[in-house]
Amino acid sequence: MDKPSTAHRAIVTGGARGIGRAIVERLLADGAQVLSCGRSKMPEDWPASAHWVQADVADPAQVKALVAKATAVFGATTLLVNNAGVQVEKTVADSNDTDWDLVVGVNCRGVFNMCRAVLPQMQQHGGNIINIGSISGVVADPSMGLYNASKAFVHGLTRSIAVDHGPLVRCNAISPGWIMTAMAEEGFALAENPQAAIDDALARHPVGRFGQPDDVANAVAWLAGAQSAYLSGQCITLDGGMTAASPLQPGLF
Amino acid sequence: MSGILAAKVALVTGGRGGIGRAICARFIREGATVYAADINPAGSLQQHNDDGSKFLTLDVACEDDARAAMAHVQKQHGKLDILVNAAGIEIEKTIEDTSLEEWNRSFAVNVTGTFLCSKYALPLMRHAAGDGKTASIVNFGSYDGFIADPGLAAYCASKGAVHALTKAMACDHSPEGIRVNAICPGYIDTPMLQSFFNGDGSGGSGGDIASLQQAVRDVHPTRNYGTPDDVANLVNWLASDEARYASGQLWVLDGGLSAQVQQMKL
Repeated sequence: MDKPSTAHRAIVTGGARGIGRAIVERLLADGAQVLSCGRSKMPEDWPASAHWVQADVADPAQVKALVAKATAVFGATTLLVNNAGVQVEKTVADSNDTDWDLVVGVNCRGVFNMCRAVLPQMQQHGGNIINIGSISGVVADPSMGLYNASKAFVHGLTRSIAVDHGPLVRCNAISPGWIMTAMAEEGFALAENPQAAIDDALARHPVGRFGQPDDVANAVAWLAGAQSAYLSGQCITLDGGMTAASPLQPGLF
Repeated sequence: MSGILAAKVALVTGGRGGIGRAICARFIREGATVYAADINPAGSLQQHNDDGSKFLTLDVACEDDARAAMAHVQKQHGKLDILVNAAGIEIEKTIEDTSLEEWNRSFAVNVTGTFLCSKYALPLMRHAAGDGKTASIVNFGSYDGFIADPGLAAYCASKGAVHALTKAMACDHSPEGIRVNAICPGYIDTPMLQSFFNGDGSGGSGGDIASLQQAVRDVHPTRNYGTPDDVANLVNWLASDEARYASGQLWVLDGGLSAQVQQMKL
């Protein structure tokens, strides 16, 4: 089951941009065959060697078709990276049914749909599932009730898949902290004093910088390979040390 | 006297410290006979007014002291229902600035003290357990045993050790009717916290204490830090037979502080 990442036939959900794109490009560079999907059409700058399917992971029928397409393109999937995710910045009291359907649809049902669709192949041929969880599934981000809960779901499902579907299938999750994507940059731009906000946030990162999409891709590459062959059912926190420290730091007041 | 702890005998180490006093006072109100064990009668505060607790001189890191304290309780009551290991010290330094002596002193009080007092209390506590009654040991961990505050390395490590020791003791002694739990306070208004605020390390940023304290309150979901009475409320419950099924757990009491991710200034 632990192929070198060069030999993987991989599905990466949500590969259009950000973390997903970095994972797609890393797996391609390592020699894997990669198919990705998103709710939009193929991005204009999509790498020629990777495949793209327009699909919403929240929809079981579209996921079934997506996995059938992957099987037609490269055979049984050996690596699934559940990266697709959405967030709605609201408290529970402010969240409506549409918010629930969106966040739980993509972040929870989407991960479930994808795992259910590839597991029959993986149970036969072996496979590796890597879910993108979040530090928000462990400690709460304010005004992110549904998102935080959806990521805790991902952590729990990760353990269940590892327990139920070993030894042929391994399953782990990566819980990123602050990864600088377009979404995070927009957050700083909205701050009263953007530079002060950046300085404060940096001071809360023991490694002295924010994460980059490539940091997550590095962890995916390691989890996808034989060096992590004994690791299963774990949620790996990748946050530059941020959550190792107390959220209350008087030195930063 | 009636109360949730009626007829129980309790010993609280660090019993004249900020949190220890609140625990002793609560236990007395709940009908227990209470021994406040500490280095001296005033503990970490300037003075002490009689609160009805019996004072025992005890350096928790000293094996002879621990043995003698328990022998005294044995002679007076023949049993001990409740042991609260509240004695603790905090060295406010990084590991680089911490001397071996300071490191050893941290572990001697926070970890070895918990070990020694529990070790010599166990035979007395076996006499208290049974007939539907449980004996209860409450250790003092800290939220710092889970996540770090800057400049508190030896403290964080010693509290992590208390957490693991708590689980180990619960495994070994719960079958005898002796429950073992740890409570893990966050920011509690005590002399130790004031020292942290006044310290020139992680606690001090040049601002005045009042604004610093308000800023600290504001980071808590409850918008306040805790009082010794808040801690005593939980210790009292864990010490009582109401908590007879609770053992081996680490009870975080921090106003929701550690449920959050870092609170950036956005």
